[in-house]
Amino acid sequence: MSKPFFTVYCLIIYAFLLAPIAVVVIASFNAGAFLTFPPQGLSFRWYVVFFNNEVFMRAIRTSLWIAALTMVISGIIGTMAAMFYVTHAGKLKETVRVAMLAPLLLPEVLTAISLLFFVYSVGLGTQNLVGMIVGHVLITLPFVFINVSASMESYDPAWSLAAQSLGAGRFTRFRRIMLPLIKPGVIGGCLFAFIISFDVFTISFMLKGVGMSTLPIQLFDYLRTNFTPEAAAVSTCSIMLTMAVVIVSEKVLGLRIHRF
Amino acid sequence: MNVPAKKRFGPLLLIAPAALLIGVFLVLPYLNIVLMSFRMPGQGTPYGPGFTFGNYGKFFSDFFYISQVINTLWIGFLTTFICLVLGYPVAWQLARGASAFRAVGYALVLSPLLVGIVIRSYGWTILLGNNGIINRTLTGWGIIDGPLPLMYNALGIIIALVHVFLPFMILPIMSAIQGIDPSLEAAARSLGASKVTSFRRITLPLSLPGIQAGCILVFVLSLSAYVTPSLIGGLRVKTMAVTVVDALIDTFQWPFGSALALMLSVTGAIIVVIFGRLTVMKWKA
Repeated sequence: MSKPFFTVYCLIIYAFLLAPIAVVVIASFNAGAFLTFPPQGLSFRWYVVFFNNEVFMRAIRTSLWIAALTMVISGIIGTMAAMFYVTHAGKLKETVRVAMLAPLLLPEVLTAISLLFFVYSVGLGTQNLVGMIVGHVLITLPFVFINVSASMESYDPAWSLAAQSLGAGRFTRFRRIMLPLIKPGVIGGCLFAFIISFDVFTISFMLKGVGMSTLPIQLFDYLRTNFTPEAAAVSTCSIMLTMAVVIVSEKVLGLRIHRF
Repeated sequence: MNVPAKKRFGPLLLIAPAALLIGVFLVLPYLNIVLMSFRMPGQGTPYGPGFTFGNYGKFFSDFFYISQVINTLWIGFLTTFICLVLGYPVAWQLARGASAFRAVGYALVLSPLLVGIVIRSYGWTILLGNNGIINRTLTGWGIIDGPLPLMYNALGIIIALVHVFLPFMILPIMSAIQGIDPSLEAAARSLGASKVTSFRRITLPLSLPGIQAGCILVFVLSLSAYVTPSLIGGLRVKTMAVTVVDALIDTFQWPFGSALALMLSVTGAIIVVIFGRLTVMKWKA
């Protein structure tokens, strides 16, 4: 294949990848109810409709709360597991890795269904947030694990040993040796857990209680019956939030988030 | 080595919360869903007392469900194949292209993954719907008289699924190609192989593990996709995952829904194993 042809081909694929997302953003600023090309004019009316829609605003608040809680729990559990994986796992290393990545490798819809049955079988139900939070922590755990263990790749147990021989206790060793090393991984993993939790649909859909909804669920319900660009305004705000988190972590904090 | 008990078990406390979480809330639920698929259907409750093979009997005796599995598998095959054909050149470009292009391209391939699945599927409804951009623009320009059927059919589902899962095809192939020593290709060229021959005999066979990983990933993901087929297919075209979730949410048929979900998963797993065997054989040959 000739080189210019090849470049053009790749550009077309990139355009294909971005098209539906770009279209959502453009539609949210469109004055009319339907998007045509070229657009009919610039307007913020759908944002006004969205900000005055208490149902969507409540869903956003719920999503943010769940994402924050998930981030903290998943961050702590995932970091501890990654520390074990790198320093103590020994022969179990491969087993630990597969188990920690399992939620990522199993089909989300099956995980969601089996978790729903399980919380009912043990009498937990879906009227409290426990099932939902557990599901979100499960789904986000691999990302924290991947990021933290990647940041520990250069870790040498001898450093900790040296500190110990100089009289540092367990907690001091963690705070002075381990934590500075894994901090970028922990922050990156937590931020990514936040994004995943904020965006996840199937798990929330199966485990939500009656009358409760997160932003993706509310959007999905809305889209089954409505097609107005209000959904585009909601989506654009959600995209902006995600992008803000990524840009802050990569540009301001200088982190490189591992997604796989 | 004689280690004090506290020191031996201390590190285990690090893994305990994760092990507990995965054991109790992932392993047990998966065992439970197998059990659930053998339970009796309930009257007014999600499931009744006692066990039966009836849920599987219902699946095999009703051609509706079998044909739906076949449809879902077919959509999965096509999605995987199109992803492979579209994605391979991009993966090659990302692995071997000019470096300025590579960084931007990598970001472009990854960024769709940061946008929620509901939003990406919604983007496709804006593009493909009867009142969508493509149809309204084409009608407006007088190219077509009525809207083209782009949504509420398998075509629309496949287009959107290809979009959603393309990065999962590109990334493994990209890392496989990155792992190939460029001097192998150079050697083939210097021995007189044409560009095509060097690609066919060197690059393609060596990137097979990446192709295999990408295909399995995309195939499994598209079989279990719920949001995209549900929004794009509407009520007219349903994939198995949509039928299963609807059976559980709307009609509370838990045992039968479990049997359906497991039948789809098992069929998918068998196909993945066969595919894995075939490609490994080919790869060794």
